[in-house]
Amino acid sequence: MSHTLPSYDGLMHHTRRHFLGASALGLGALALRGILGEAHAAPLPRGTHFPAKAKRVIYLFQAGGPSQFETLDAKPLLRERNQQPLPDSVRQGQRLTGMSGYQATLPLAGAFTNFKKYGKSGVEYSDLLAHTGEVADDLCVIRSMHTEAINHDPAITFFCSGNQVAGRPSMGAWASYGLGSMNENLPAFIVMVSQDATKDQPLYSRLWGSGFLPSEHQGVQFKAGKEPVLYLTNPEGVSPHARRGMLDTLGKLNADQRATELDPEVDARLAQAEMAYRMQTSVPEVADLSKESPATLAMYGESVTTPGSFAANCLQARRLIEKGVRFVQLFHQGWDQHGGLPGGITRQCKQTDQASAALIKDLKQRGLLEDTLVIWGGEFGRTAYSQGKITKDNYGRDHHPRCFSLWMAGGGIKGGQAYGQTDEFGYNIVKDPVHVHDLHATMQHLLGVDHERQTFKFQGRYYRLTDIAGTVVKGVIA
Amino acid sequence: MPRPSLSLALLCLTLGAGAAEEPTVDFNREVRPILSDRCYGCHGPDGDKGRKAGLRLDEFAGATKKLKSGDTAIVPGNLAQSALIARINATDADEIMPPPELHRPLTAAEKDILTRWVKQGAKYAPHWAFVSPQAHPLPKVADAAWPKDPLDAFIAAKAAQVGLRPAAPADRVTLLRRVSLALTGLPPTTAEVDAFLADPSPDAYEKRVDALLASPRFGEHLAVSWLDLSRYADTWGYTGDKEMFAWPWRDWVLQAFNENKPYDQFLTEQLAGDLLPNPTQAQRVATAYNRLHRMTFEGGSIAEEFRQDGINDRVSTASYGFMGLTMECARCHDHKYDPISQKDFFSMAALFGDQNENGLLSYHGEVPPPFMRLFRSDAERAKEQQLKAAVVAAEQAFAALPAPTVAHLGPTAAPAPTVHLPLDSLTKTGADNAIADGKPAKFERRSSPEDLQLFPGVKGQGVKFDGDAGFILPDFRQLGRFEPFTFSAFIRFGEKNARATILHSTGFYTGDGDATGVELLYADGKLRWSMIHLWPNSAASIVTSAELPLNAWHRLTATYDGSSKAEGLRLYLDGRAIATTVVRDTLNAKPRDNALEIGSRSRDAGFRNGSLDEVQLWHQALTAVEVASLHGLDPKTLPAADQQAHLRARADAAHQAAHQKLQQARRELAAHQESAPAFFTMEHSALAPKAYVLTRGEYDKPDLTKPCAPGVPTSIFPWDEKQPRNRLGLARWLTDPRNPLTARVAVNRLWAHLFGNGLVASSENFGLQGDQPSHPEMLDTLAVDFVRSGWNTKALLRRMALSATFRQSSTPAAGAREKDPSNQWLARGPVLRLTAEMVRDQALLASGKLVEKVGGASVQESAHRRSVYTYRKRTAPPDNMLIFDAGSREVCQPKRLNTNTPLQALVLLNNPGFVESANQIALRVSQEATDPKAQITLAFRHICTRSPRPAELSALTELYAQQKAQGPPVAPDAPATPEPKPDPKAKGKRVVAPVKPASLSSDPALAALTLVCSTILASDAAVTSR
Repeated sequence: MSHTLPSYDGLMHHTRRHFLGASALGLGALALRGILGEAHAAPLPRGTHFPAKAKRVIYLFQAGGPSQFETLDAKPLLRERNQQPLPDSVRQGQRLTGMSGYQATLPLAGAFTNFKKYGKSGVEYSDLLAHTGEVADDLCVIRSMHTEAINHDPAITFFCSGNQVAGRPSMGAWASYGLGSMNENLPAFIVMVSQDATKDQPLYSRLWGSGFLPSEHQGVQFKAGKEPVLYLTNPEGVSPHARRGMLDTLGKLNADQRATELDPEVDARLAQAEMAYRMQTSVPEVADLSKESPATLAMYGESVTTPGSFAANCLQARRLIEKGVRFVQLFHQGWDQHGGLPGGITRQCKQTDQASAALIKDLKQRGLLEDTLVIWGGEFGRTAYSQGKITKDNYGRDHHPRCFSLWMAGGGIKGGQAYGQTDEFGYNIVKDPVHVHDLHATMQHLLGVDHERQTFKFQGRYYRLTDIAGTVVKGVIA
Repeated sequence: MPRPSLSLALLCLTLGAGAAEEPTVDFNREVRPILSDRCYGCHGPDGDKGRKAGLRLDEFAGATKKLKSGDTAIVPGNLAQSALIARINATDADEIMPPPELHRPLTAAEKDILTRWVKQGAKYAPHWAFVSPQAHPLPKVADAAWPKDPLDAFIAAKAAQVGLRPAAPADRVTLLRRVSLALTGLPPTTAEVDAFLADPSPDAYEKRVDALLASPRFGEHLAVSWLDLSRYADTWGYTGDKEMFAWPWRDWVLQAFNENKPYDQFLTEQLAGDLLPNPTQAQRVATAYNRLHRMTFEGGSIAEEFRQDGINDRVSTASYGFMGLTMECARCHDHKYDPISQKDFFSMAALFGDQNENGLLSYHGEVPPPFMRLFRSDAERAKEQQLKAAVVAAEQAFAALPAPTVAHLGPTAAPAPTVHLPLDSLTKTGADNAIADGKPAKFERRSSPEDLQLFPGVKGQGVKFDGDAGFILPDFRQLGRFEPFTFSAFIRFGEKNARATILHSTGFYTGDGDATGVELLYADGKLRWSMIHLWPNSAASIVTSAELPLNAWHRLTATYDGSSKAEGLRLYLDGRAIATTVVRDTLNAKPRDNALEIGSRSRDAGFRNGSLDEVQLWHQALTAVEVASLHGLDPKTLPAADQQAHLRARADAAHQAAHQKLQQARRELAAHQESAPAFFTMEHSALAPKAYVLTRGEYDKPDLTKPCAPGVPTSIFPWDEKQPRNRLGLARWLTDPRNPLTARVAVNRLWAHLFGNGLVASSENFGLQGDQPSHPEMLDTLAVDFVRSGWNTKALLRRMALSATFRQSSTPAAGAREKDPSNQWLARGPVLRLTAEMVRDQALLASGKLVEKVGGASVQESAHRRSVYTYRKRTAPPDNMLIFDAGSREVCQPKRLNTNTPLQALVLLNNPGFVESANQIALRVSQEATDPKAQITLAFRHICTRSPRPAELSALTELYAQQKAQGPPVAPDAPATPEPKPDPKAKGKRVVAPVKPASLSSDPALAALTLVCSTILASDAAVTSR
């Protein structure tokens, strides 16, 4: 059976007060059942349409568009034909960005890095991803990703929300709306942005926004430091004891108000304040990495001790999902190598490779990997040819939406394989293309959600993460 | 589940029908919502995608015609022969309708409605919102004394129908708070409450309502939802998110509300102020409404893609705001539910794409043309007119001078150039300059000697370009709109480039969005010679009429006389002028002053396979005579006009003086204009690209067989052919009193403003998938009244505020909540959670620190101004506002949801701004009273308007005593979170910095009082209007 989730119009109208009054965070599931008065016992957790293989998601978003040629998709031919022009027969007149579209020649650029086969599966990874290679048998590399947008802003918005236009809910917001949190003291969707990344292309709050879904589903940004969540900390001079006293008083005020006004929404408001109070304890607890063992810290690499680094955020992500957070999304900027790619991508991999692999190992050793889906990748790939001049040891690559690579692991993913294939120039897909909508459909499928059925009626139309497209990619599923 | 056989189902239906008189089905209210939601997706009005089975169910003829399959979906009155009935009752997955993959099966009740409808003859009715509204007679009301306004009769009658009776009137304090918040966004002060309570006159409330409507706070509050709808912000949105100078438009909206501008004018000036006869500055400012959509300057973006996105945004924003329609659905295909074809959409796009504009923002964030100059005073505006007249006079004086005689041409040789690059050889860094002390040319930064080839030239060697590499002259600047300039060189075109930049001072290239400066472009065989501020709207530009010869050396000379006009641009080949046509002649602002670059441009196509030799540059315009001499031609062979021009320029003191005067007049005009900020507006232009249907809505797939003349969806309301086919005509169409949507949509929005929900809950969608009105007769009557009143917004709000409906107590009578949980029948007063703006403004007002200044540039929260003025950065909106459901203003937001979340509690209790307010309120009441109880009572009144009830007062007093007994507040255990440092590159990248974290007073009494105030701020009584 399917569970009816409330629509926008419904929220605005009939069930608004009741539902929104109590639905934030973990209370959502409980409240919802009550309101909708579901007569039949639910055989499946809220929001799911079939048994889930993954209960939660950690998305390691590599913003800027990492080059597949130096990471996950080896192309020996480019080395052989280094600096020779890209044949027109390969490009087939497809659009380029305005940055290299007027270049007089498009010289092919062979990767400066070597590739090696890893694990029993023998999937190839570049030397820059040697740590990732160690967990190769857990990973499924998709080499046939493709997307619709060619510039960062539309492309990353598309990737994070299924639409290039602003105003749609993000992936995590959909997960929060559909599945709720498993811990009522923590938000369902948490976002962390690496502080050690090169901030080449900006990020925007719309990437984790709730769009037309209620605002409680927007990603809550966790930051390094004393106040991991905005306004979490009591003002200077207000002790937890004093805060408790305030909340007790608030409870009395609202109880009196409830009795006078006969409005159940007052209760909901008080419940939110109480939950805020509990978050004030639970968030600092979960944000405290000091109790992690030296062995664990060492696994994530040196920078794990630097608050806000990608490594620290990976470790933090594990702690959050352990506590029942549904969707954790990390953003690591700096992958936009139009020029100076060898230096740039070496730096990027150094910042992310070890910790990404450590996260997989750590989840695995705790038995969490089997029901946690981990995804690593960016918003598009890069061109087989050099943007600007290519020299012996330097080149750059422009944006390329027609094919790129990412990897997935855990939560129902069939590891130890490379899925999909690009041509020998790495310009077009020749086998098993995976569109962004397909990836979203697959992600939702693993979470037990039929992407065609998790919809939200807004402005008269039924919206979903996959818009009107998307097919579950069976080949990546175990 | 066992499958009931179809015949059995039909039998039951037949029997059921015979058993009792069945209620008549209302097509609009009951049937259409089902058909629209479950059937129109495949059997609807859209004809572009092969309707399934050839069946359309949105009209009687289609639904009742015999289909190819031999079936008939609906045989009116005959259930057994109606395939629709069989299919909705089928159990076979291949048979059942709607198909299982829709995941929205019909309920038994819905099947029953459809069945009864077919049985009763399957009568269709036009969609209610597409029929002009009519006033309705007032219904009879049981308690004739209750209504204070005709609208109350509609409410009471409807409530009676569902078994509800109007609630008692709200108490006066509650009502005053409610109406003050509703009309001004701020609660009344304690003094206002006391004065109101002390006023025994029967019209005391009415007087308050009038005062509120007259307050400048009215516009500051009413504007907010219009700003949401119009996606108004202070930055452009996309990557980089530069500052957008738009607040004068926001002030226009505020003022429009405060001046009670009639709604039809409010609409017309925003949509088409520029097209009104002799538009005022304010009317032109209003048109910025159309241009508040996001714009990008991200490198590599494609201008046409974003131009189309911008137009799409204008169409959908206007559709939501004025028509309550989801037009944007029809960008890619005919609308699935509403009678709006894809062609209709692009006809609307033709209305809104009528500008000569660029889809991209400049990298440097200059105001994207078209723009106006925003003069601060009438005097400044008058001065512009004087200076314009002075230019005309100087032009006339110059033209009126007698022509010099041509007999004595005098010296004809070209003066020495400022730069001369023989290009016979290359150096390590570039090319030598033959002028003594002249600076050499450098390689453009990505280029090196091996990129450029020496090539046999006219004199010695020349240079052949590869399209990516070139030279730059770092010191050759002052290529402004009033600076004359000449370029001359031997040139050889090695191929007919699709596009090649020969010479420019425009910096790098992001589409045409950034070209600013001089530009000599070779494209498809022709040369385009331009002086540009921003292409294409602010530029002077000419193009050769004929193609230039390939593979041979010719001397090319390009001159610009500094007149800021296209006629001042000339091109010569081998010493003789070549025929050109004007491309643009609208240069109205200064280009950026970049260095001159030759043969290449970053991110653009350079002069691939083209060669240059003997490049010469002058900071003056050579005359035609000098250009001829330069090439060794006898100037006497030139047309007399050219010879005269030479004499004027070089030998005639009177002409020189007159010319100088003219240039001076031009510079003065430009300087005055540029002293006023440029402000983007809508500006109709004959040069706007033609509109076509875009296949699947994709910018690069215009269907050239489907051109779209400007127009509207006439299936909703016919077009009056007497009206111009432009945005002004659109405004007239919308404000035609018979237009079925405009007044209803406006009335509904104003209703929602006071009552929380609209009479049509889907206030942004009056189409087939929208909600039915809860009180259709009242909505229509109010809409008719609204138009008759001259679209008088304040008068309508006044009626609503004075109605008995609005004045009811919001506390439900016993059983009333159960009968009407969402209060759609309004048998009690409205309860609203305060918006993000109201919550903050209320705290500031209570603290006594609210700075009440109307209008002006947007500010940081620390300025303590009302939240409508808070700086809105689209990619990083103010956190506390987002948490309280304000949107990012990236796109049109027709309405806000109203949530309760823990983060809201955190904002109220911990956000430095709210803590600071709590501090200030504590300070204030500790000065206003000495007794703690009195202080707490006052604080409660400042925030929540009413006095605390005994239970509340005792709880708060207890908290106070507890906290005070704790002694001085605990010392912070760690330094407070450091305030984010302002970004040094802050220009255009301003972030909304949180105000400095507040800390508690070291005085235990004051600290305790602060915690009490903070608790009150977070309480239900504070965040609601009841």
